[in-house]
Amino acid sequence: MYLLIIILPLISSLIILVSGRNIGVKGANYFSVICMITASIISCLLYYETAFLKSTIIFSLFNWLSLNIFEESINFYVDSISGGMILIVNVVSSLVHLYSTGYMKGDPHSPRFMGYLSLFTFFMLVLVSSQNYLQLFIGWEGVGLCSYLLINYWFGRLQANKAAIKAMLVNRVGDAALIASIVLIWFNYGTINFYLIFPINASLSHTLIPILLLIGAIGKSAQIGLHTWLPDAMEGPTPVSALIHAATMVTAGVYLIIRSSPIFEMSNIALIATGLVGAITALFAATVGLAQNDIKKIIAYSTCSQLGFMVLACGISYYSVGLFHLINHAFFKALLFLGAGSVIHALTDEQDIRKMGSSILSLPLSYTFILIGSLALAGTPFLTGYYSKDLLLELTTKEYYLIIVCWLGLTATFLTAFYSFKLITRTFLLYQNYYKNTWISAHEGELNIIIPLILLSLGSVFFGFFSKGAILDPLIHPNITSFIKLTPLILSALGTVFGLLIFLLSSKTWSLFFKNLPLRIYDFLVTAWGFDKVIGTFLVDPVWAFGHNVTVKLFDAGIIETIGPFGLSNKIIAISQSMSRLQSGYLFNYALIIILFISVSVLMT
Amino acid sequence: MRIKSFIITSLILFILGVLGVSLNRTNLILLLMSVELMLLAASFLFIIASSFFDILFGQIFTIIVLTVAAAESAIGLAIIVTYFRIRGKISIKLLNTLKG
Repeated sequence: MYLLIIILPLISSLIILVSGRNIGVKGANYFSVICMITASIISCLLYYETAFLKSTIIFSLFNWLSLNIFEESINFYVDSISGGMILIVNVVSSLVHLYSTGYMKGDPHSPRFMGYLSLFTFFMLVLVSSQNYLQLFIGWEGVGLCSYLLINYWFGRLQANKAAIKAMLVNRVGDAALIASIVLIWFNYGTINFYLIFPINASLSHTLIPILLLIGAIGKSAQIGLHTWLPDAMEGPTPVSALIHAATMVTAGVYLIIRSSPIFEMSNIALIATGLVGAITALFAATVGLAQNDIKKIIAYSTCSQLGFMVLACGISYYSVGLFHLINHAFFKALLFLGAGSVIHALTDEQDIRKMGSSILSLPLSYTFILIGSLALAGTPFLTGYYSKDLLLELTTKEYYLIIVCWLGLTATFLTAFYSFKLITRTFLLYQNYYKNTWISAHEGELNIIIPLILLSLGSVFFGFFSKGAILDPLIHPNITSFIKLTPLILSALGTVFGLLIFLLSSKTWSLFFKNLPLRIYDFLVTAWGFDKVIGTFLVDPVWAFGHNVTVKLFDAGIIETIGPFGLSNKIIAISQSMSRLQSGYLFNYALIIILFISVSVLMT
Repeated sequence: MRIKSFIITSLILFILGVLGVSLNRTNLILLLMSVELMLLAASFLFIIASSFFDILFGQIFTIIVLTVAAAESAIGLAIIVTYFRIRGKISIKLLNTLKG
């Protein structure tokens, strides 16, 4: 029965993609939603069995590679780590499927969309249910491919094409590092199976392997440096953003780190690097999220920031907390994205929060959902985010060798509350700022848009409390003073207050922003610390120019063509022409040549 | 007289014929005559060798060469005449329509 979890999305995607034109939009919707809901119900059972009952499920499907001592098979292998991942992937994906039936209504290529969504889910399941790095890599590349297809879903749009190519290529950088680390793992340990790797300190590259794995995770999980694809991936439809940024794609990098924890534990340098990368990303994305005005980009940067928290948790060796935050985050981030999608849908595809406002009157349900999501994100007590995020921040306070991580994390948590509530204020609370026609016609979505949101908000409220025992069981909570314990909460509350007040103090605060220095800071944040600009100017353009000037013009069309095909053929033509010019047509010349060669041959003998 | 001087004479005749073929740029008949001269020089060598080695075959060959030369000059002259009928001239310089 458990195999259905992985097979149903595949069946759904294959049937819809192959015969979508026969079964039609309605058929594709019903079929994929039924498949995915069945799969997610089964995966709830699976989660109960693996996380609560602590069992491990193995289906060895077939042998893939067997080369002497190197033998790998395709598995369906679920332990408590993959169990949680499979749960969120399937639940969020099935809700996104259901949501898309409403959100994508009227879209001419809807079956293709559902097929891609199912395919995405399938590849993510392949990724998390693998027992070796090779099968993980299949899923890893598969989700990259599907993210390309989904971001590029409206292929007529130039921005969507560019964003999809960017996502694919930036991910490819991390993928190259992952391949390198797999090769190194195989070279050093003789196996790529997760449970046969016993890291030895004497191994040749015990620092290099986790660093390369970390780079792979940086690419996939949009950590600082390779994060630039994630905000651009907002060009896809909103359910795609929910799927990519909540449950599936970006979590793969963190999952990789959690999976490879024995390897990471062997190297102090790699752990410190992981913690720093995570903390810097958390702070960076939080500051950038502060200045964004696109409702989806704000949530995208908050995803980036929360992924930073997860990587940070891995960096201080609390992998279970990272996993817990990963699972909790999937619920409230999917809720936020789908809620934002519902707002966008209601306001005739307006994404700019500066052109919204007062939507609470027309969209009270969406307001409630986004409020729940934001409260969970900000770590309000007894909501899901509290159990993982506050715990994570408490745990950082006692890592004295890496205490900077704690400060960065605390700042980020303040900023998280700040921008979440800035979004809420601007979208729902303050003065109405868009056309009257839109405002009059704005209304909540249909039932298939509301139901996923209700379920996800239930998950965002209750899931953390229910599953904290199961996931965090062996964890010993730190013994710290109540002030330190309350600090993240106080900071969040402070951020919330700031976020709510920022536009109420309006005219005075705003005039401050038009001064020189704040304007510059705002510019800096709005352009995401100028990462795109810097990477474009100093990395992409030189490589581009090198490719055009040196590789193409100098080598391919220059040196190689000159001595290669064109040069050779020109030379032969010239020689043969000069040879044939010997035959001038004059009889005496022929006679001379004949006599010359006869006399030469006579003299030779 | 010794045989050497005869051989040198015939060789000189032959080389004169060769030079006539290769250096002559005006007249096709001169060319034909030079070829005749080369054939005569060759027959002369045959006769010299025949008398020096005291073998008859050389003289037989000479006779054959003479007949061949006669036939050749007849055919050659016929070609020249035909050519003259077409072109009106028999200069070799005009014979260059066929180029490589």
